[in-house]
Order: sequence, then structure tokens, then C-alpha cells
Amino acid sequence: MSIYVSTSIILVAMVAAFVLSSIFLKSPDISLAITAAVAVLFGVGFGWTDSFSRVMVEGLFVNLDTVLLFITASIFVSIYSETGAINSVTRKLVSRFQNKWILLAFMGAFMLIPGALTGAGSISIFVLGAMVATVVGAMGLSKKKTAAFVFMFAILSAAAPPVNLWAMMIASGSDIPYVGFDLPLMFPIVIVSIFTIIFLGWGSKRKSKEEVLASLPEADEHMSWWRILTPLVVLIALFLASNYMAHVIPVLGLPLMFVLSAIAAVICNPKKLSIKEYGKIINNTFEQIFPLIATVLSVGMLQNAMSASGVKGLIGITFITLPVIWIYITVLFVAPFLQGALNYGSAVVFGAPLIFLFNSMGFDPKIVAVALSLIFPIGDCLPPSRITGRLAVEAVGYEGKYTSFLLAVLVPCLVLGLIALAMMIWPNSFTFLI
Amino acid sequence: MSLKMEKSLLVKIIALVCALVLACLAGIEFYDHRHTKETVVAAEGLTEMHMLSEWVPSLKGTFGDTPVFFFDSGVEGGTILYVGGTHPYEPAASLSAYVLLENIKVEKGRAIVIPQANRSATTTGMLGNAYPSFYEVETDWGTVKFKNGDRWANPLDSWPDPFTYVHYPSNVSLTYQDIRNVNRCYPGRPDGSLIERVCFGIMEIIRNEKVDMAIDSHEAAVMYPVVETYVAHDRALDMAMMASMSLSAEKFYMKCEASPKNLRGLSHREWGDFSDTLAVLMETPQPFTDWIVGPMTPTLQTEGKDEFLDTAAKHGLTYVDYNDDFGSPIRYRVGRHLSGAQEVISWMNQMMPEKEVLVSWPTYEELMEKDCGYFLHDPAKADPSRVFDI
Repeated sequence: MSIYVSTSIILVAMVAAFVLSSIFLKSPDISLAITAAVAVLFGVGFGWTDSFSRVMVEGLFVNLDTVLLFITASIFVSIYSETGAINSVTRKLVSRFQNKWILLAFMGAFMLIPGALTGAGSISIFVLGAMVATVVGAMGLSKKKTAAFVFMFAILSAAAPPVNLWAMMIASGSDIPYVGFDLPLMFPIVIVSIFTIIFLGWGSKRKSKEEVLASLPEADEHMSWWRILTPLVVLIALFLASNYMAHVIPVLGLPLMFVLSAIAAVICNPKKLSIKEYGKIINNTFEQIFPLIATVLSVGMLQNAMSASGVKGLIGITFITLPVIWIYITVLFVAPFLQGALNYGSAVVFGAPLIFLFNSMGFDPKIVAVALSLIFPIGDCLPPSRITGRLAVEAVGYEGKYTSFLLAVLVPCLVLGLIALAMMIWPNSFTFLI
Repeated sequence: MSLKMEKSLLVKIIALVCALVLACLAGIEFYDHRHTKETVVAAEGLTEMHMLSEWVPSLKGTFGDTPVFFFDSGVEGGTILYVGGTHPYEPAASLSAYVLLENIKVEKGRAIVIPQANRSATTTGMLGNAYPSFYEVETDWGTVKFKNGDRWANPLDSWPDPFTYVHYPSNVSLTYQDIRNVNRCYPGRPDGSLIERVCFGIMEIIRNEKVDMAIDSHEAAVMYPVVETYVAHDRALDMAMMASMSLSAEKFYMKCEASPKNLRGLSHREWGDFSDTLAVLMETPQPFTDWIVGPMTPTLQTEGKDEFLDTAAKHGLTYVDYNDDFGSPIRYRVGRHLSGAQEVISWMNQMMPEKEVLVSWPTYEELMEKDCGYFLHDPAKADPSRVFDI
């Protein structure tokens, strides 16, 4: 039997397994694990894979670092929030600035920073999501639009320079030095940021200062600026030191940075909480993020299973052998959905072959890499993983349908995608940015 | 306890037991992969075996420590270094180093061989790629098992990663995992991460042993432009260019490229910039690491036959001729490396006679005719002083 036929059978079986298990079990995480198991079992049946257990368990380790990051970042945010700092700074911002557009611009710009420094949009949500959600909500945006705002700036922050992991991975896989990416990345991000603020903020009516302040909990009278800023300063300082003093300090890793910042938040907390109370906060945080962790882990299993069974190759070869015009037509659908399934693996699997393809056509590979690195993040709101989308929805507390949230982000995502597509189609016209 | 709760508890217990069984079974395989050693029988001309930790003491007792084999003819001449296993998911590189060190004859000058430059990366597969842990080579005395490794060192040996890896000393930012990539960490630091120290150790060998030519063997995806290629540092470019022309005319197609000046951390750039050696990197075509291949199997590693890649070749997406009738078997890839190294050394001998090194080992033609296993010796029958576990 041809590999095309056998891998197509596996792909159909995987889709069937995912749909059926989603219907009966109502759990995306377990459904993903079952889908992965089906793929590996077929691999074993065809004699390609000698060990079901190794492929499945190894898959759990694919995103282990991401899981640790999510756990520690969530604990930091929970403790920081518990200190009253977020509430306090929100009150100060709302009292100080009256103009809706200035506040929205500030919130957008703030959100860009943590993700730009670390390459992970989820960090922006963890660090600033709650505060941004409150302030943006106070500007009269509905919860759905607020969630869209948080999501858009999270993915833009992940794509923003200096650290864009998709671009870095594509560059690494195709031996392009990761230099000269800053302006080509910044240019579309600034445009889409401005568009997002105008699009989502248009028509909303800022609530009165008094109304907003009345809806917020009273600020702790002992909450001073140094208590508010110290944990954030510790975190940002550690980010910057890791990047700009990399050869002076040891490698800390993001999880430890969040732990250290959480300790700073504990020290700065004006309320004296017992160890048991902090334990309860950590326990609640685990309860809250457990579904996300389960998704991230099962996506790793799926990724490993797709490799073992050849399904990853089937999707890849089908896409890259399309006529170029069809690549242009489908890339805005295919790349984000692959991001939803493979996370950063999408850049490794599809980024490098596309770069070589476009390079052979005489197109500037850096601009194409930038374009792809702007399209992949859109998929962070798409199933099966939809990690950043879920985080945004949870940070805002939006309880409507997830599909409504997707509709709210559709237009800004489309604008981002179309700008990126233009860069893909006419890359040599953008080389002035390098 | 209600019936519903009892049922829920039962499901949880069953799930837990299943998870534990899977974890134990997989754990045994992970342990096996990490601790299995590859056994080699060094050729009779072996004069010394050292460990990399002798140049960087902090590597002692770690998975970064790796054997360094010296073959000294006793006749004054130049020194060459052959490095395999920089990326252990490219196993024709380390296998070529094994075939080389089991069969080498040195008539003039010295040869140094490091068969597994990133030994830590031999102890795990690439996460997300579901690599089979081992591949096999047939010999007259039985089947020999070799490891499929990773591109990066095992996180068990080097963790955590920074969120972006800043290369020393250029300060160029690279992806976070590249702090565990031997071919992104040169020239290294004596007090850096595990792999920065490994790289520093290899640089120290090149500098202290006055290596005239250093050859780094790799494998590349067939859809990667720098496949079937020499990449040479500025000073080695002429000889690599001549070698590529000779090979292309007489044996197999081989391109040559100049080492880009702004691509930092790579052997062909930093070896040359931070020592006087003539630095050359070689790439063979390895379908196993292509992005769009089918199921990950041990035979894909050894035979290199893949239908999807065949389709890609028909669409003109590969950078070398490829079809799944021939594939890219490991004997072909090992043979290319061994003759590729010999050719570039012979051009160094011609262009710089004062650095002449006269060495021989199995050639491309011999590998194609007899396969890799023919050149591997039975450790059970060998002089124990020349048997090494790596």
C-alpha cells in the first residue's frame, strides 16, 4: 500500500476519533490524547512504530517547559493580584487619564513589552492581562471586545521584535542569521496595533471615572508605587539581564524568573498572609490552569503521534506541492490551523520548506520569514490547542461562546494576515525595511 | 458512597494505572536510550585516547565528556581533526567517524578523531519528531545497534534554556534551544553552558594540538540548499572548491560554499576565526531530517527511501537529485563523508606541502560495494586495549 493511502487512512481515523471522542467525552484534552493514540496504534499496526508507550509518553515532554512556564507565571499573577497591586494601578490609571484612545494605546503598548522580550504572548496575558482587561473594560468595550483586545495584543507581542520565536525557528532551520528582522516585524505590528485599537474601540463609550472607580474594589491604603512596581521591575530586570547580560549571569529560565518575581510580590504585599493562605492561592491557581496544562500536554502527544505516523508529512507535502498561487490562497487558513495543532512546531515543519521554495523564486527569504511569523500566531486562537485564545478569554472573564470571541478577532486577524500575505507575495518590495 | 462516585473513582484508578504502566514501559526505553553505549574498535595505529574533560575539567563526569582519539604516525607532518556526532540525529556523521577510526592508517602527520562531539544529544530523540531510538547495521558477526540522537543536548544535562540564546562573543540572538547545539556554540566559553564548554574544549584541541585542517561532518535534509556541500572558512575555500570539483567529476556531486561571515557559532566560521585551522564542514543528503517525510522508521534512517520526498523531488523542491528507488542509504552517506574528507585533505597536501598528512581509510567506492558493517570490527575478538564504549 502506498504511503499516501496508508497515511490518509490514518488521518481520516484521527479526525473520526477526535470528533467522536469530543462528542462523547466533552473533553478536548482527552480527545486529543485519544486521537494521538489512534495515530500511534495505526503506526504500530503498519509496522512503522515499535513502541506505543515511548511515542505517547515522549509526546508529553514536548511542551513540558511551556507547562512549567504557565504554572509559574500563573502563580506569580495570582499572588501579585492578591496583593491588590493590579487593582490599585488600575484605579490610578483610570483617575489620571481621561482620554479613551490614550488609555487604549497605553494598554496596547504595555502588552507588547513582555511578549516582545520573551517571544511568548501568553506571558503578556499572565503579567498584564488582568489589569488591561479592567482598564479596557472601563473604556466601555464589551467583554468580548476586551478579550479580543487582549488576544490581539498578546499575539502581536509574541510576533514583535526582538524575540519572535517563529522567525527565529524559521531562520535557524534555513540558516538565515536572525539579524535585520526588527524593522520588518515592527512595521506591520504597529499598523495592526493601531488598527486593532481603532476597530475595537470604535463606538464604545468610556464609563465615567466615578462609575469605574465604584466598580473596583477599594485600594489598600498601604499600597504604594514601590509595592506595585517592585515585582514587575524584578521580572523585567530579569528578562533584560537574561538578554543583555547573558554571559554574566547564569541561565535562569522563565519559570524561575516568575518564581523570583512571585517572591518579590510576597515581600511587597501590604497584607500579611500566612503560608497556608498562600498555599490556598497556589492551589486555586492550579485548579484554574489545569485544563490548559492538559491541552498543552496532549498537543505534544498529538505532535509526536503525527510525526510517528507520517500524517505530519502527508499534510506538509500536500501543502508545499500546491501551485504557488494556491499557497497564497490557502496559507491564511493552513498556517494558523497548523499553529493550532503543532504550536511552534508549525514554523519548523512548514516555515523552512516554504522559505527555500520562495528563495528559489528569487524572493527575499527574510521578508518571507517575517510574513510567515506573522501568520502563524493567528492560529493561537484556533483548535485544538487555542492556548492564547483561552488565556485571553479567561483573563477577561468572558463567558460567551468561544465562536463569538473568534468572530470578534476575525477582522484584526484578517488585517494582520493580509499584510503578511502582501509581504509574502511582494517580499522584494519590503526589503527597504531590512 | 453513591454508585456514580464509585464509577468515577474506578475510572480514575484505571486511568492512573494505565498511565503508570505506560510511564514504566516508556521509562525503560528512555533509560535504555540514555545509557546504551556504542562500542568501537580503534585501528591499530591508535596512539592515545583522551577525554574532552582533559581540556575542560568541568566536563568530567558529565554527558558532555567525550573520547578523543589520536593516531600519530611518528613522521613529522600536519594534523587533521575529524569530528562526527555534532548533531546526533545525523548519524552518518558519527558512523563515518567510527568506520574511519576503526580502519585508519596514518603514514605521515597526525589524525585526531572525535566521533561523538555532542554525546549528551545521543541520549535522547528529538521531542515532537518521534524518532526511533536506534537503527541497525548488519555485519558478518551480527547486528550492531546505533543510536538516533537529537540535534540538541539532552535537557537532562543542560536545563533550563534561556528564552533566547545569546551567542558568545558575537551577542547575536539565536533560538533558545541552540544553547544546546554544538554547531551554534563555537568558540564556546570555559565557564558557559554544558555545550559552550564542549565547544570550548574542541577549540582548545584545535588550538593546542595545532590542527591544520578540521573537518566537521553533518547530514542535511534533501530539501535544504546546503546539502551535498562543503562549507569552508575563507582560508580553506580554495582547497574545498578544488575538492568539490574533483569529486563531482570523478565520484559524486559535491558543491562548495563559503562560510557566511554573519552566521555565528558554526564550526566552519568560528573554528577558522578563533584558530589557525582550515575549517571545512560537509553535508550529506539525509531524508530522515526532511520536514515532509512519512513515518519515522529505522529503515528511513538507513535506507532513506520516502515517497513524499520523491513527490517533492518531482516538483523540483529538492536541492539534489532524489528518487525513492535508490533513496539515500547510509552506506552512500558514510562513503561520501569518508571520500569527501580524503579529497579535501589531499588538496591541502597539494596546496600546503609543509602541512602534509598522509592518511587513508575506506573510500566511497568501498562503502558502496561492501556497506558499513563490513568495516566494523567485532569487539569480542579485538585487542581489549583498543575497544571503547562511547
